[in-house]
Amino acid sequence: MRKLSVLVAASLAAVTAGVVAVVPGSGSSHREAPLTALDPTADDTDVYAFTAPDAPHALTVVANWIPFEDPAGGPNFYRFDDRADYYVNVDNTGDGRYDVRYRFNFKTRVRNKNSFLYALPGVTSLNDPELNVRQTYKITRLSYRGGRLTGARVIARNLPVAPDNVGPKTFPDYDPVAARAIRPLAGRGKVFAGQVDDPFFVDLGTTFDALNIRNGTGNAGGGKDDLAGYNVHSIVLQVPEPAVTRNHRPVASPRAANAVVGVWSSTDRHRLRVTGGRGHRRVRHADVQVSRLGNPLVNEVIIPLGRKDFFNATQPADDLKHFGKYVLSPELAKVMNVLFPGLNVPEDNRTDIVQALLTGIPGLTRIAPKAPPTDTLKINLGTPPTATPNRFGAIGGDTGGFPNGRRLGDDVVDISLRVVGGFLKGNKLPLGDGVDANDVPFRAAFPYVAPPHAGFDSQLKRVEPQHPPTPADPSQG
Amino acid sequence: MLARVGTGAALAFVLALGAFGLLARGGAAPAPTPKPGAGPQLPPPSALTDRRISALQAIVRVRPGVAEGYVLLAGAYAQKVRENGDAGLYTRAAGLLRRALQLQPGDPGALTQRSALELSRHDFRAALGDARRARRAAPDADAPFGVLVDALVELGRYGAAGRALQAMVDRKPDLAAYARVSYWRELHGDLAGARRAMALALSAGGDTSENGAAVQALLSHIDLVRGDVGRAGHEARAALFAFPGLPGADAALARVELARGRAQPAIARLRRLVARLPLPEYLTLLGESEMAAGERGAGRRDLATVRAERRLLAAAGVDTDAEMAIFEADHGSPRRALALARRAWAAAPSIRSADALGWALTRSGRPRAGWRWARRALALGSRDPLLLAHAGLAARASGARAQSRGLLPAGAVLRPFSPSLAREVAR
Repeated sequence: MRKLSVLVAASLAAVTAGVVAVVPGSGSSHREAPLTALDPTADDTDVYAFTAPDAPHALTVVANWIPFEDPAGGPNFYRFDDRADYYVNVDNTGDGRYDVRYRFNFKTRVRNKNSFLYALPGVTSLNDPELNVRQTYKITRLSYRGGRLTGARVIARNLPVAPDNVGPKTFPDYDPVAARAIRPLAGRGKVFAGQVDDPFFVDLGTTFDALNIRNGTGNAGGGKDDLAGYNVHSIVLQVPEPAVTRNHRPVASPRAANAVVGVWSSTDRHRLRVTGGRGHRRVRHADVQVSRLGNPLVNEVIIPLGRKDFFNATQPADDLKHFGKYVLSPELAKVMNVLFPGLNVPEDNRTDIVQALLTGIPGLTRIAPKAPPTDTLKINLGTPPTATPNRFGAIGGDTGGFPNGRRLGDDVVDISLRVVGGFLKGNKLPLGDGVDANDVPFRAAFPYVAPPHAGFDSQLKRVEPQHPPTPADPSQG
Repeated sequence: MLARVGTGAALAFVLALGAFGLLARGGAAPAPTPKPGAGPQLPPPSALTDRRISALQAIVRVRPGVAEGYVLLAGAYAQKVRENGDAGLYTRAAGLLRRALQLQPGDPGALTQRSALELSRHDFRAALGDARRARRAAPDADAPFGVLVDALVELGRYGAAGRALQAMVDRKPDLAAYARVSYWRELHGDLAGARRAMALALSAGGDTSENGAAVQALLSHIDLVRGDVGRAGHEARAALFAFPGLPGADAALARVELARGRAQPAIARLRRLVARLPLPEYLTLLGESEMAAGERGAGRRDLATVRAERRLLAAAGVDTDAEMAIFEADHGSPRRALALARRAWAAAPSIRSADALGWALTRSGRPRAGWRWARRALALGSRDPLLLAHAGLAARASGARAQSRGLLPAGAVLRPFSPSLAREVAR
């Protein structure tokens, strides 16, 4: 998952790899370019895929980049990388290869090139002359058959990105300005790109202090949401079912052969030929995938430190070959047994986790009968959205939630702790991190994610109120 | 197994705190007082690094047995040196890395960080050794490539460096890789290609605003060498806006002012810079600018300070032989210059060392030998104004007048890098 991903992976990258920033100093005159370990503009932090109650026949995807945006992060603020390719990928055959991709390419426009300011006071529209730095983007839809490109079409261009919420003096009324960045797509789709509240919630302090849970076993609130108050850059895409299903048709029922698709996000950057020449031009295989994300927690909890860079460079279709063994014997299960000897967490042969996340649950999230294990977020588009979601999703008896897709409110940290604890094998443990919900409410309508925190009055962190313990089996609650 | 798992959990703890030390606001830095009419007041970006250092110091105190804490803290100190140039922190970073490697021998993260430290101290052979060890210990990790490439470049092994760099950019094109592609192209005289690669680095961005600003200052440098003074000024000012007070950006803007013939603002800027960060490179530029502007007393004083600063750097373990050879050749004793340059060449047979040796020979009254070494320095095709000036003056002194004219850079291009040499060329 992501945040964990940033911390662990980033810094783990650090460890295997080299440190949050392996930085040479500047004692003298030899060239010292920065050595970065974090790459925020290309860092896929989270992916959500769900059927929105107000759009029951569409797939909605929220894909996030640039973790830990401090709302007061001026003077430069945050933006997508103009030179990167941002992707939302869909596998509708179950082989772990993309069958449909939406590629997002951004372009930064600076109104007054002599000014470095992001904006001047009083911005009231996306075209306001006081908004000095703007981004626009185009979307290309790519289709594939058996991994081969069969079509590429620009479906929208020159769409505006919602600006960073610098503060109330710059944006006297931010939300209506940002709302203008919601744009229709031909064929009844919608899209939004820009800064939003980071919808992830987790108590990192407890999770990473050797699961040092503050209150009970983490099932009674009291946790501190370490991501409260931070923003992120989000792409929210809503497309009708036929745009992503195997047979280009709507989904008739949860049992329909075309009902399940796998979703993940990824980021490519341009390769260069060191020796120059035409290396800067876009040629075939000129792009390199530098990041990907499907299911929350896979990259952090499952993939070992030294292999995270490799994970980010590979495709879901090859996950079994490269990473299968780590899923079957997850390190977190061993850690839990060491830290809490009474838990009896099964450590090996965890086919339950492989099925829940990678091959899909038959009748619910399995894309196709023999689908290999792939790290994609699998969603059954036939499952009707519920008016009363349970944050535990499927293990809470609400089959419309994670791991059947992932809704913004699904508590994937608690779910993952319980699933790794052995929930699906009957070892039901009342575990959690004590944070149950996001710091701000999500919106009922597109783009669903909450508006970004403003730089002027941002508050970081929030404490979950304490509450009676949830049972080990949340469906019995 | 048990110990390993325990370390993993503790490590995660360190990382969580480390990242939050980096990112959490509030705490250490006092709230800035807003000045009416001055627009929003922002804390200096380096405050983030300070906060990160204190958070990591706390972690190391609480968990003295976890190697990663020391590595992260050493990295934070190195970042601090990037921002304020206090080379004394290298000694502390070295101690931390020694401890980390005692706790976790062969740890690739610690080896990579130590390699970065050795690069900063110009111990390029040690840096190459550690980079290779880190590569072997973590073959799937990308980070050791950066230090590997840097060490190979500084040791003059440009072919091997280019191959390692191609592997680096094939695996993960990001700011670190793009910026190194840019430098490799610059060394080979492909300034347009260098600019393109550096623009990609700037667009990609890095971990901190310092990373982006540092890259933009390098972009300013490339533009200046290309003779595009207007663009160089824009990039330098943008870098200073992104990271107020960044030394490399301040120096870049001073060079732009020198290129425009505006000696007084450049001198004022450099004086403020060396008051904070008296690196030999900046002191030399300041002293030469003052001499050229007729402020000979101030110029002599500043140039005299260079040797003292060099001793301070030496005490922090930084080897400055190659650059001190150039300094001695221009402003001190050619004999000392020759000894330093020979040592630099023996330690790292790079084009920089070849240039130092050639210039020391030329200044010692042996321009023919100097001219031979200068050609070696230019063998890759570098367009570096100092290298060209050294070669051109060596050629002129050896009687190769025609070749000299083809090499000597225009005054506006050379002046920002050495006002003294620019005057000498003009004569």
